[in-house]
Amino acid sequence: MIRTFIWIAAIIAASAIAFVLGGYATDVYRKMLIWIALALSYNFLFGTAGQVAFSHFAFAGVGAYGVVILSTKLGLPFGIAFIGAMALCALIAFIVAVPSTRLEGFYLALATLAFAQLFTVLINEGGDLTGGTGGIAGYSLPSIFGLQLRGPWYTVVLVLLVAGTLLLLNRLDNSSFGRACRAIRENPAVAAAMGINVRRTKVITFTLTSTLAGLAGIAYAYTDNVINPPVFGLENVFLLLFMIIVGGMGRPLGAVVGAILLYLAPFFLEPIVGHGYLVIFGILVVLAILYQPAGLAGLIDRGLGLLRPRSQS
Amino acid sequence: MEDFLELTVSATASGCIYALMALSYLIVLRPTSIINFAIGEWAATGAFVGVGVLTTLLWPRLDAPYPVAVAIVLVVLGLLGWAVERLTVRPLVKRGAPVTSPILALLGVLVIFRETLTLLFGADPFPSPPPLGYRRLEIGPFAGAPQQFFIIAVTLTIFAGVWYFFERTVWGRAFEAVAINRRAAALMGINLGRVTALAFAAGAAVAGMAGLLISPLTSAHYMMGLPLAIQGFTALVIGGVGRVEGALLGGLILAFAEQLGARYLPIPSGLTLAFPFSLLILFLLLRPTGLIAPREVR
Repeated sequence: MIRTFIWIAAIIAASAIAFVLGGYATDVYRKMLIWIALALSYNFLFGTAGQVAFSHFAFAGVGAYGVVILSTKLGLPFGIAFIGAMALCALIAFIVAVPSTRLEGFYLALATLAFAQLFTVLINEGGDLTGGTGGIAGYSLPSIFGLQLRGPWYTVVLVLLVAGTLLLLNRLDNSSFGRACRAIRENPAVAAAMGINVRRTKVITFTLTSTLAGLAGIAYAYTDNVINPPVFGLENVFLLLFMIIVGGMGRPLGAVVGAILLYLAPFFLEPIVGHGYLVIFGILVVLAILYQPAGLAGLIDRGLGLLRPRSQS
Repeated sequence: MEDFLELTVSATASGCIYALMALSYLIVLRPTSIINFAIGEWAATGAFVGVGVLTTLLWPRLDAPYPVAVAIVLVVLGLLGWAVERLTVRPLVKRGAPVTSPILALLGVLVIFRETLTLLFGADPFPSPPPLGYRRLEIGPFAGAPQQFFIIAVTLTIFAGVWYFFERTVWGRAFEAVAINRRAAALMGINLGRVTALAFAAGAAVAGMAGLLISPLTSAHYMMGLPLAIQGFTALVIGGVGRVEGALLGGLILAFAEQLGARYLPIPSGLTLAFPFSLLILFLLLRPTGLIAPREVR
């Protein structure tokens, strides 16, 4: 009961911020929410299930390009374009997952990296359909059931996207499915011996999280009303990976903290060190892996542990 | 026909560069099971160090002779590889961290190297002087830039050296033993830490040479690393991770597929960029062990 209240209060608070922010701050806030949504689903795939995949932004791109192409180039109603884009994400993710989850360890990373690069080449060379290197611009979110979502109300949609992703993945995390994912991450052979269907669990995880990435991509498509290839390339995947490592692998809290920190840090660091903030990110990642594998989430736990009275131990 | 022969020279030269990158992966991967994505940036570092020594980029009026540049690239990159292993990989291996941990740490190293190069040299490309000049060179029916022939010759020398090392020296046998069974090798008295350190140093030196060799054709610039890293592991997957010859074969197959496809297939030139990735996916799915299977464990 109290949990539900906290959830509702948090969603209302996060939405209320949208109504007091100015133009530039709104833009920053919206992108941050999308980064958090992507970090949450990537955390489940990479942190909880242990699949090192480089395709997360490619699937965000499939969602974004899918919905825009279906609705503006093919003229489908938004609802159908939305469902179509999600279905396309799920389908492609499934097709990628079935053969590539069979691959051991870093071979999955190579296969998904090849897929991600292939996607970038295709949207760059897609001619009129994808708009080539310039991407697609000059479209906007149509009204849904007579409702025109714009301004702060669109930011509220993004808050709900983050909340929905978090709720779904939390529930999954605490279910037998989440435990199966962790068991596979720790030792696939032992997990299989315990009666877990390793292949099926891996394919479901990959398909589900990649579709969630597609959903975030769709949300991104209507924040700037512009989509172009570089956004969905490798650079952002690295950043996403770094967010999870610095935040704390396998912890939703870590994904949120990592995404907020690494997304906002350049705004403060760039005036001081210029482009050098990326060197700082690289050093942070190496230090996190070496000395703080539980990431910032682990530090937060330790901080809270110090505050709590030591009654049980 | 003449066109085709010229294409052969250029494809062989590119294939040699891919093969060197694949070899750099392989040297580290065999004894450690670590795939080191940072080698692309090490190639870029090699190119910048080489250009720095050959021209007046780092030091006024330095422009040292080419063999000096080669020696400095090998030493500097070897030391860098050794230092990276000491600082990031060894603590993780000692702690018994999962094998993904060093791979992820090396991704951090990748970003550190690339952004440091950007900070030091800016985003502009630096031209690199070719050691044999610019004149067109003809050897029998084959014609091309002297640098292309130079790349082929140096690559074959490096491969011969590495092959000799793995097949004929005690140290090479130690590498193989560690690759086959770490624990058994350690029990036989092989120093695992030293093998790992040597693997990183040698891998970095080979990657640095690849960067130095390709720099006269592409010039040295901060974005050259990632494509080389990707082409390298594509070549590695095609050839197979088990054997030195596989890296060479994989590199050549990749380069020929790329260049013949771009030249003779009726598709838009941009789409030929998709070639290596399609090839990589195909091989991962159909033949994940690569073309040359690892030697049977006796």
